[in-house]
Amino acid sequence: MDHQGHGHGHGQNPSMGVVGNGPQFPYGSNPYQASHMTGSPGMVVASPGTIQSTGQPPSTQLGQHQLAYQHMHQQQQQQLRQRLQAFWANQYQEIEKVTDFKNHSLPLARIKKIMKADEDVRMISAEAPVIFARACEMFILELTLRSWNHTEENKRRTLQKNDIAAAITRTDIFDFLVDIVPREDLKDEVLASMPRGDVPVTGPPEALPYCYMPPQQVGAAGVMMGNKPVMDPYAQQTHPYNMAPQLWPQPPPPPEQQQSSPDQ
Amino acid sequence: METGGFHGYRKLPNTTSGLKLSVSDMNMNMRQQQVASSDQNCSNHSAAGEENECTVREQDRFMPIANVIRIMRKILPPHAKISDDAKETIQECVSEYISFITGEANERCQREQRKTITAEDVLWAMSKLGFDDYIEPLTMYLHRYRELEGDRTSMRGEPLGKRTVEYATLATAFVPPPFHHHNGYFGAAMPMGTYVRETPPNAASSHHHHGISNAHEPNARSI
Repeated sequence: MDHQGHGHGHGQNPSMGVVGNGPQFPYGSNPYQASHMTGSPGMVVASPGTIQSTGQPPSTQLGQHQLAYQHMHQQQQQQLRQRLQAFWANQYQEIEKVTDFKNHSLPLARIKKIMKADEDVRMISAEAPVIFARACEMFILELTLRSWNHTEENKRRTLQKNDIAAAITRTDIFDFLVDIVPREDLKDEVLASMPRGDVPVTGPPEALPYCYMPPQQVGAAGVMMGNKPVMDPYAQQTHPYNMAPQLWPQPPPPPEQQQSSPDQ
Repeated sequence: METGGFHGYRKLPNTTSGLKLSVSDMNMNMRQQQVASSDQNCSNHSAAGEENECTVREQDRFMPIANVIRIMRKILPPHAKISDDAKETIQECVSEYISFITGEANERCQREQRKTITAEDVLWAMSKLGFDDYIEPLTMYLHRYRELEGDRTSMRGEPLGKRTVEYATLATAFVPPPFHHHNGYFGAAMPMGTYVRETPPNAASSHHHHGISNAHEPNARSI
């Protein structure tokens, strides 16, 4: 419950900011997802210019790998944004044409019963379940769309529970659902989400030390991926990943840390 | 007087239920009718009874999985498959969503010392909880609902009536009985519907109880 409350409070601001920039823009899904994807933070922030400025020129092969992955990832995020925009535009158009209010996609009596499960709820107007029927349909569609995006990222054709867990983790307005998916389904997202989650709670000074513990991350990566070749790219990504804080609203600390603790 | 009214009401729902049964035991309307029956029974029991009833009917805590899957498939490509645990997870998420929004809407009602959660309260709660993209389409949906269904709803006076034309026709016969209750929340198009729904709790409870309990028995027998 505390976690949910905190998540909600924190998530509200980014969403509002994003909405302010454009009505149809997804709920800060791009920056949020970037910080959650395993390895993607390094890719997102590791532009060639950035790498050069840090005096860490990558090998040609590794650079190509990073660029290829970065490009593919950006393509996927762009695809999701486009799909969401099309989805909301389509919803509005569909509702403009609605003439049948007798056959709801979800039973009103069931909605009312769930609403009344809360003992504090006393009376419910006839219109409330009608609105909820449509809202729940939109909710199912949005959650399914975001989940399917994760399914495709993993080159699968079966939508699984961990895809839903990923969508919940990446979307601020779905914070209230975190308790529904067990921790094991969040495992793939935990490493990627830790840094972002830690910053608001502990502040940069404490978050950065975590970022500067390559052995732990490499070990975790090794365990998760189970083969050495993958460890190298991840270890390499660790360095660019440490620069992620620079993109956050507290720029001063990261440069100092970086200078005082240059990687290899 | 009330007894006479109830007696008359009891006859008609039976006929309606019979008609439904003759059409198809498996159609959605019947399932909704069954759910409505259990829902009404649940709401008419004591608090403890209601909890027991709700606890026993585990499936009533979630949306029907067939409906959920149908909606999911609307947004997925044709070749997509959905694992069973994903289906169940979405079911749980929907119930959580309803409870989450309802909780916020109810808090607003209580702050403003109102007893009835309205569609506006639901929309307000969604906006407050970050579901901004939902507001515009749902606001239009609500407006269209009122302009297209408002007059008919006011004549029916029963949410159940919305599901079948026949039942709506029958329900119309019960709207004329006079009720005196103030309407302060809905637009002009809705006064009759609101009027009936806002009748005194005892009368409303008895009214619904008799209607639903009669509808419930035929279903139980058919099962």
